[in-house]
Amino acid sequence: MLQETRALHPVRRRGWKGWFAVRKRHLGYVAFALNRLTGLGLVLYLIIHLVVLSMLARGPETWDAFIELAKSPAFLLLDVILLAGILFHGLNGLRVILVGLGIGVHRHKELFWGLMLLAAILFIFGAWGFLVV
Amino acid sequence: MSEQKVTFRVFRYKQGDTAPHYDTFTVTVNERTTVLEALQAIRRDQDGTLVIRHSCHHASCGTCGMRVNGKEVLACVTNVLELGTPTVTVEPLQNAPLISDLVVDMGPFYETFSQAHLPFVRRSEYLPDAEVAEGVPFHMRFESCIECGLCVSACPVVASDAEYLGPAALAAVWRVVQEPRGTEVPPLLDWVNSEHGCWRCHVALECSEVCPSNVDPGGNIMALRQELVRRALGLSHG
Amino acid sequence: MSSYHVVIIGGGATGSALAHDLALRGIRVTLVERGEVTSGTTGRHHGLLHSGARYAVKDQESAKECIQENMILRKIAPGSFELNDGLFVAITEEDLAYYDDFMEGCAVCGIPTRTLSREEALRLEPNLNPEVKLAVQVPDGTMDAMRLPLRFLATAKHNGAVIKPYTEVLSFLMEGQTVTGVHVRDHTSGKEYDIGADIVVNAAGPWAEKIARMAGVDVPVQPSPGVLVAVWGRYNNMVINRLHRSGDGDIVVPQRELSIIGTSSWVVDDPDKLDVPEEHIRLMYEKGAEMIPALKHAKMRAAWSAARPLIGSRGATTGRELSRTFKCFDHADEGVEGFVTITGGKATTARAMAETTADVVVRKLGLDIPCRTREVVLLPHTAYYTQ
Repeated sequence: MLQETRALHPVRRRGWKGWFAVRKRHLGYVAFALNRLTGLGLVLYLIIHLVVLSMLARGPETWDAFIELAKSPAFLLLDVILLAGILFHGLNGLRVILVGLGIGVHRHKELFWGLMLLAAILFIFGAWGFLVV
Repeated sequence: MSEQKVTFRVFRYKQGDTAPHYDTFTVTVNERTTVLEALQAIRRDQDGTLVIRHSCHHASCGTCGMRVNGKEVLACVTNVLELGTPTVTVEPLQNAPLISDLVVDMGPFYETFSQAHLPFVRRSEYLPDAEVAEGVPFHMRFESCIECGLCVSACPVVASDAEYLGPAALAAVWRVVQEPRGTEVPPLLDWVNSEHGCWRCHVALECSEVCPSNVDPGGNIMALRQELVRRALGLSHG
Repeated sequence: MSSYHVVIIGGGATGSALAHDLALRGIRVTLVERGEVTSGTTGRHHGLLHSGARYAVKDQESAKECIQENMILRKIAPGSFELNDGLFVAITEEDLAYYDDFMEGCAVCGIPTRTLSREEALRLEPNLNPEVKLAVQVPDGTMDAMRLPLRFLATAKHNGAVIKPYTEVLSFLMEGQTVTGVHVRDHTSGKEYDIGADIVVNAAGPWAEKIARMAGVDVPVQPSPGVLVAVWGRYNNMVINRLHRSGDGDIVVPQRELSIIGTSSWVVDDPDKLDVPEEHIRLMYEKGAEMIPALKHAKMRAAWSAARPLIGSRGATTGRELSRTFKCFDHADEGVEGFVTITGGKATTARAMAETTADVVVRKLGLDIPCRTREVVLLPHTAYYTQ
């Protein structure tokens, strides 16, 4: 009987799009969505990074040309974005590990903001390092 | 009490429809009107075909769970004017089969939930200093979980993993671990110690945010994990 | 299973218990309910498993039904109640003056009692008004207003009954003066269809009069609403009742993590139009605080109204003068065959109401099958949704 019911009624399930349905959601949900987003971004970066490294096999000219491009301000900006993604993903990931082990479950919001403060400080230093030095 | 008109945008679906749509109703409400009362007024005065679920009207039965302005709530304790929006959008819970309008099929929810074998009555932690009356074994009360399914609708992991046991059932298992009452604990721990069990949770903790009944499913899932780790390390006395 | 088919209108406590009773007797049953099951009066009541003591002086018929059913329900629905017993507390000298009548009534009705001194009462319930003179312990309890009927429905389903929520009766099928079924609309699909029946039972509670009118008969049901207020927290473990003649706001039922204060009583014509008058909410707080002072500042969770289906005398004004007992009407008495109404009563006595009604139904069908609902242990409420 239940099988029949299930065939009749569609389940309204958002699938992976549900991860990013953050409207009206609370901090933990938003952090979860950002973690997925930055995670996907970092995977993408890793692939690009490997592609770039493979240029080494094509001799010094190709590589030097790339290094020139990498020194351009637009490219450095991409590095800054990458840094933000790494800091968020890494430090929020630390929170997820802690909370996931039962540490600070009922303090997870304070933990989040504490770690984000740390992320912001590291980001300022890092961005200054990229753009100024 | 002052009255004012509020517009309700209500999700509609009848079996056989190709797609759901929204109907708009205007309802006169006062400071005390709940979303459930407004929906009952719509059904009584404007559209007798509106399908809603309700029973206790005081957040104890869990039947009137729905999404109001995109958030999982019990309609019976959701005040219309306190929402503060001129239009109130009302939709059924997610991640469950739709029956009609605002009603979902709770069958799949209970199929998972009932596997936790959670006894309905527990020891009461209230008034610990009160003496127990003669003939009464101990102070008892109903479990906090009202089986409303709000947590399952709000969970982003349930949204993408149909096999995930979900926050309600996992929280129920933790209650059994805490107070077994004759239920066999190890098979339950084996059940949740799996890819689609308590390790599937990604700590969004939205379940605990929307829970109307102090269950804290997210906290319970983390407690289950700790228990599993303790047992794996041979540290548990249980 | 017999080839007779009975249609029950109403998925409240009564209809649920009746579906269970008839299914156990091997009769084919279809229950139709216009909304979700228990969405009318049933789900909204106090959640009090009555010992009967409340009615022991003025309404002894109802009191006896309550204590008998209380004991039966404990056996057939184990694990469904908070069994912390109840106290009737005397706060004033006037309450105290009621004590002798109360004890005599309880004795007559077979309700076990134990009288407690002020000190004993306060040790059991430290939040009681310290003015308390004495208290009487009785076997009251707390039930889940929805989940107990769900157990009847789950078991009925298991025994072959078909439960159809969101299915509204639009009219009766009649052959001359005989009811032969109902014409219904399934609100989940909008489709209308007929359900044939050998007997139709009207178990629509306060809507019973409206349903009966469709078959051309009159049922004297007076919808009598009461306001209930739920507050956060448990201030008492036992059900606290005021030791006096039944009045407003004189019961506090702890339930889950809430306390329910109730109730008031008035009469209305349309059970779909229930207000929650502001002054009744205030009254619940006031009267509740006379027994448990801390309730005065308790945080409100919800306030709502529920309509009792009292058998009346249309002249009733508050509903308090009407008995809480039940009555089964065989409308053959008014010349309409195949149609029975069961109404009045209380959630505590739903099983007995069902037994009486099912007896009438099987007799009308010319059968002789005994009732078995006193012994059969009910399935858990979750089984209603998983079968």
